[in-house]
Amino acid sequence: MAITDDVLVIGGGLAGATAALAAAETTEDARIRLVTYKQSTLRHASGLIDVLGYAPGTTDDQQQPIADPYTALESLPESHPYQRVGIDAVRDALAFFDEIAGDAYAGAHTDRNALVPTHGGTVKPTARYPVSTAEGLASDDRDTLLVGFETLPDFDAPLAAAHLEAAGAPFDARGVTLSFPGIGRDDAKVTRYAHLLDHDERVETPSVTGETGAREALAATVNPHLDEESRVGFPAILGDAHPAAVREALSDALGAAVFEVPMGPPSLPGLRLEDLLYDALESAGVRVTSGVPVVDYETVAADSTGENSTADETTTAAIDHVIVDRNGAQIPHEADQYVLATGGLVGKGVESNRERVTEGIFDCYVPHATDRYDWFVDDVFGEQPYARFGVVPDEELRPLGTDDNPEFSNLRAAGAVLGDYDYAAEKSGAGVSLATGYVAGTRAGEACQ
Amino acid sequence: MAHDTAVLVLGGGSTGCGIARDLAMRGVDVTLVERGTLTDGTTGRMHGLLHSGGRYAVSDQASATECIEENEVLREIASHCVEETGGLFVQRPEDSDEYFREKLEGCRDCDIPATVLSGREAREVEPYLADDVSRAIQVPDGAVDPFRLCVANALDAERHGARVETHAEVIDLLRDGDDIYGVEVRHDSGPGKRTHKAPGTTEEITAEYVVNATGAWAGQIGAMADLDVAVRPSKGVMTIMNVRQVDTVINRCRPKGDADIIVPHETTAILGTTDEEVSDPDDYPEEQWEVDMMIDTLTELVPILEEARTIRSFWGVRPLYEPPGTGTQDSTDITRDFFLLDHDERDGVSGMSSIVGGKFTTYRAMAEEISDHVCAKLGVSAACATADEPLPGSEDVRVLEEGMDDFGLRSPIARRSNQRLGSRAADVLETNEPNPVVCECEGVTRAEIQDAIDQSGSDLNAVRIRTRASMGNCQGGFCCQNMANELHPRYDEETVREALDELFQERWKGERHALWGEQLSQAMLNYALHATTMNRDNDPARESTQLDYAQFDGGA
Amino acid sequence: MSDAQRRIDDGAPGEQPSTGGADGSDSDSDSGNDEFEPVQVFPEAEEMDLRPGADNCYKCSTCDTNCPVAEVDDEFPGPKFQGPEQWRLKRQDDHDIDDSVMKCSNCMRCDSACPSSVPLSQMHNTARAEYVEENMSKFSREYLRNRLLANYRRLAPLASMFPRTANVVMGLSVTKWLGEKTLGITSEREFPEFATETFREWWTDRGGAKVENEDKRIAYFHGCYSNYNTSEVAKALVRVYEHFGYEVMVPEQSCSGTPMFANGMLEDARRAAETNVRELAAAIEDGAAVIASCSSCSMSIRQEYPELFDFEDTETVAANTWDAVEYLRVHEDLTGALEDTAVGDEFDELAYHAPCHSRNQGLDGQTIEVMDAIDGIDAQDVGDSCSGISGTYGWKAENYETSMKIGEEMFEHMDAAEAETGLTECPTCSMQMEHGTGYEIKHTLEVLEAALGGDRAESGAGSGSNADAGTTTATESN
Repeated sequence: MAITDDVLVIGGGLAGATAALAAAETTEDARIRLVTYKQSTLRHASGLIDVLGYAPGTTDDQQQPIADPYTALESLPESHPYQRVGIDAVRDALAFFDEIAGDAYAGAHTDRNALVPTHGGTVKPTARYPVSTAEGLASDDRDTLLVGFETLPDFDAPLAAAHLEAAGAPFDARGVTLSFPGIGRDDAKVTRYAHLLDHDERVETPSVTGETGAREALAATVNPHLDEESRVGFPAILGDAHPAAVREALSDALGAAVFEVPMGPPSLPGLRLEDLLYDALESAGVRVTSGVPVVDYETVAADSTGENSTADETTTAAIDHVIVDRNGAQIPHEADQYVLATGGLVGKGVESNRERVTEGIFDCYVPHATDRYDWFVDDVFGEQPYARFGVVPDEELRPLGTDDNPEFSNLRAAGAVLGDYDYAAEKSGAGVSLATGYVAGTRAGEACQ
Repeated sequence: MAHDTAVLVLGGGSTGCGIARDLAMRGVDVTLVERGTLTDGTTGRMHGLLHSGGRYAVSDQASATECIEENEVLREIASHCVEETGGLFVQRPEDSDEYFREKLEGCRDCDIPATVLSGREAREVEPYLADDVSRAIQVPDGAVDPFRLCVANALDAERHGARVETHAEVIDLLRDGDDIYGVEVRHDSGPGKRTHKAPGTTEEITAEYVVNATGAWAGQIGAMADLDVAVRPSKGVMTIMNVRQVDTVINRCRPKGDADIIVPHETTAILGTTDEEVSDPDDYPEEQWEVDMMIDTLTELVPILEEARTIRSFWGVRPLYEPPGTGTQDSTDITRDFFLLDHDERDGVSGMSSIVGGKFTTYRAMAEEISDHVCAKLGVSAACATADEPLPGSEDVRVLEEGMDDFGLRSPIARRSNQRLGSRAADVLETNEPNPVVCECEGVTRAEIQDAIDQSGSDLNAVRIRTRASMGNCQGGFCCQNMANELHPRYDEETVREALDELFQERWKGERHALWGEQLSQAMLNYALHATTMNRDNDPARESTQLDYAQFDGGA
Repeated sequence: MSDAQRRIDDGAPGEQPSTGGADGSDSDSDSGNDEFEPVQVFPEAEEMDLRPGADNCYKCSTCDTNCPVAEVDDEFPGPKFQGPEQWRLKRQDDHDIDDSVMKCSNCMRCDSACPSSVPLSQMHNTARAEYVEENMSKFSREYLRNRLLANYRRLAPLASMFPRTANVVMGLSVTKWLGEKTLGITSEREFPEFATETFREWWTDRGGAKVENEDKRIAYFHGCYSNYNTSEVAKALVRVYEHFGYEVMVPEQSCSGTPMFANGMLEDARRAAETNVRELAAAIEDGAAVIASCSSCSMSIRQEYPELFDFEDTETVAANTWDAVEYLRVHEDLTGALEDTAVGDEFDELAYHAPCHSRNQGLDGQTIEVMDAIDGIDAQDVGDSCSGISGTYGWKAENYETSMKIGEEMFEHMDAAEAETGLTECPTCSMQMEHGTGYEIKHTLEVLEAALGGDRAESGAGSGSNADAGTTTATESN
């Protein structure tokens, strides 16, 4: 017996979760299943929802960030995923996200991008940002104290402050490096910092006599260094389960607004976004199967229905079921419609060896130069061909084969598994995942009604 | 006339640093200038083999004998740079029995300890060797870290009063008639440590005697004084694996050939190499077929390499030389011997000698011979002490033995730190400050990074070669930024930013040759982290035009 | 002196008539033989070289964010360091594994988290074994205690011969105090109760299988706990499978090895695995699929055996082992069979915790899906946190606090849920759930048995009910 559903989404990142949620919204009583092998790349990313920060193809020279991404979408090349789904779909997807995110995200009040300080010390354009970063926007001219910690070497607050000034930010920034109360080892994980604050664990700190709560202790550590600044920025470690309460406690104790600076992997804002999406999946009744890979598939036998007896050469095959591998056991999962949202090179939806670049499950066509020395350019931040590897979709987001026909009639692709855009240079990763996930999920849901 | 220095050494590779140390220890006033960072030329681009001499035991027994002698010396004076891995010459079914016998006899002729192992015994030593490896000869090959060894020589030279000037490119030789009396250097504008001069300025340095130890670049230096030094640079590729598949040096037991050696090097294994003459040591093709050949050919010896991850490839240029008129066509046949060209004797131009050819393992013996020659010129009678005096970091070998201190670090990190720092470990790692790991792949802590910055300033590539930070499997993606952070507040934000960009680009240069499979995923993750999360590719701080912040969302 | 302590002095009995499990007796448990004898994982290699596993790591730290221990204890540097980083820094002759590896609870969450298939738990298991072998004194209290906990199965048969006495003795405060003082076993926990009749005794009395079917056979790997302690779970499995027409076989078996991996006792685990692979392979040869009711047992056979051992048939056994519910979902129309069934009030509201070892097999979602098919059950998932006990981990005095800190999130979610009854598939998770909330904890198979109307009349007493404290006196513990 196969495990049977109406829509099967493969991949549990932003695109996959959005597709499953969109499919669930489209159809009242359809069974939606999301299968995800390993944990998603959400926790690698900053948790910001970038739509479009820079126009593609102009990386050679320094360029200004885009203030209004929607006007810039018009001028994108035809093959860009945004052009495939259309600009209205981008807006719809963002609205869909806003609904899911509720008050966890800000930025929906305007079409304009926000400039958020990064842990590298500069600013980046983004369309939606976690509320934890909202008080730190760079266009806000309030003076800022940045706080770093001796045991977190990837964020140097004084350097970041100097960097912000070099970037022309319209406020005075100052940085201090402090010791985090309650952290005993130099290699404590960021989840440990977050947990201390989440649970307000009792800690000893030189600033306060005896034991005190971790939040109070942290504020007491920062307080002597606060000098009239009306906001304080911390690396993004202010809680995992209860970030709002942590920020509020710090803000009250410091008498200043508190914000987070997004960090590299592992990213707490990314983890919180993942939790938010998975809570939404549970509420929407999406069945989630995690920890097992989809390894193979079978197409509907051409003669199974008799309808194709004319043996039309151009008939596009349909996927009958996929095979999920569970420690060597092969478990068939069948559905009416499938969404491929397995990610790109980082998420492992796109794979490569010395000769080829491939899509790992359905072997969909991934355009790439035959010579691997044409996969890169010499400038590390140049226009990198490898950053654009992925499947080519039609307007329905169905991956196309070498003959420009869909590989399968009931398979759509979404997110970073799509090619022909460089999300890192454009700052468009989350936006493309949302827009294509939303469209792929909606179409899949509609198709099985 | 008064000279700035008695002896001016050109080139900060193993030979130059070795000469500088040797002369400084004899009390000679030495200045060394290097175009880039130390080891930038050939020294930093080698496979890291400390020869037992086995490789030359058939073709060049004089070299082989010299190798085994120096091998033993370096184990003593540079124990913190040397790993006594042992080596194997392995034979596959298609390799000749005759050559195997010659190799064994050659080793014994040169007093290189050699034992024959059966295929099974060889696989007990190295479990990943191919099942059909039939026999092996075990020899005392070792692995050496050329960066650390070179830096230790430079450090000791400085301790004995030498001036070591990096990022100082020789742009002209100062020649007065038939006498060379110094050089003009241009101080590079990179983020190096320049305690003497401002970037972009030039300086004349005069000397009683100049030693041209620029190896593959010796011809270019000679040409500045119209001297013909016919170096025949020959390139070779080295492919670096992410982990050590072997802990012993593996040589293919057959006459010279490409892709016949695997050297376990620190946390990695290095596959080598090729041998192809190039016209310009700074500009030659680095090609895909070379990398593929390393993997495909050496997979015959160690099958796991076929699927293993490589993190980068790099090319080095051998400074081959043969006396004019020898007429060897194939660079693989050119002798690996070194030549001291006294331009006074050879060209009638006094004040300078050039040193060409040679190999890393015998750098110290070469330096001794040249230093003797220079001292004879200068009338200095002090004897060489470099074979007996340990280098800084190797003064006390006990640190690498049982009971080494862990300085509050986790075991493997403490072990690696101790291996890198040797007897300097306590000086560097004993700190009351927090000492987090800055580079996780290689286990490098803040204290060690700071120590390297003390030595080399804001040049992060110089920090890299001293510590191995950013040389692990993420190729700097996760730690370049952290390393740069360590420069602040000693250096200002702009210097830090430039240093970071320079290191990140340098890491990319080698990583390009490993862009498939896991390393391509790594590269994309690195790119996403630096471009997406940090926006380093469009940093407004580098913009000429001021960003109009008011146009953007200022909050609800 | 309690049974528990006597076990150590007496040396462990090699075989038990009740199970016939054939592990060789221990020669080096405490006989003063502390010479280094490498774990012969592969016949031709002294130890496993897992450095190549570091090739897959791209440093994203996903594993670290999934580590329940690192989140509550900075002394543990996390799975990335303990796994790929530590291995990559190793040379062939290095044996100084960082002692923090003993803080790993072997929950294996890092394994199913890693987006790049780094063999994290294999690295941890091997490093831990190496650490125990190289750095842990064989006379230390910790070593003896770990050995005892890892070899629970050796102690259980004795206790289960006198279950009522054992239950009382184990429950006495003086026993717990002695356990903590002499062995470092926390006094905070209640020792699990022993069933008055083990599953295998019941099976023998019952006359074995009630259904014979050449085409549909399963070999039940019941593990230790459902044999000695929660035999009602094992009985439920038999009845549920017989309901679907399966012939149930109960082969000879040893401990699955999970507690041994977790304590770095790889040699003990290897002996147990050898027995299991041999016996289960024979059952597979007879046409059976191997079914486990405990998620750690199925995890162990499916994943850890192929990673750590290479007996003949290891892979075959791994590929043919299933979780009890999963097998029915795939091979039977389980949800169809459950449609329109109902259960009594006993199971109307359930707070379900998916064990880490279910999660690692991709099974964390299935219980709720299956429960949803039964009328009148409201099963609520209490989130994806770890219960914190991780087998023997939370039994050690030095880990108790960490264990409870990890469990805090689960306790909170259980409290917040409507239900007053817990549900899980892992014996030690259920101990932790009960310990932290006071709820009664059920196994999914018990619910299925109730729904499918399994004939429970044949059963004797379910679990050993609390023995009457009046029947024993404290003198027994002297």
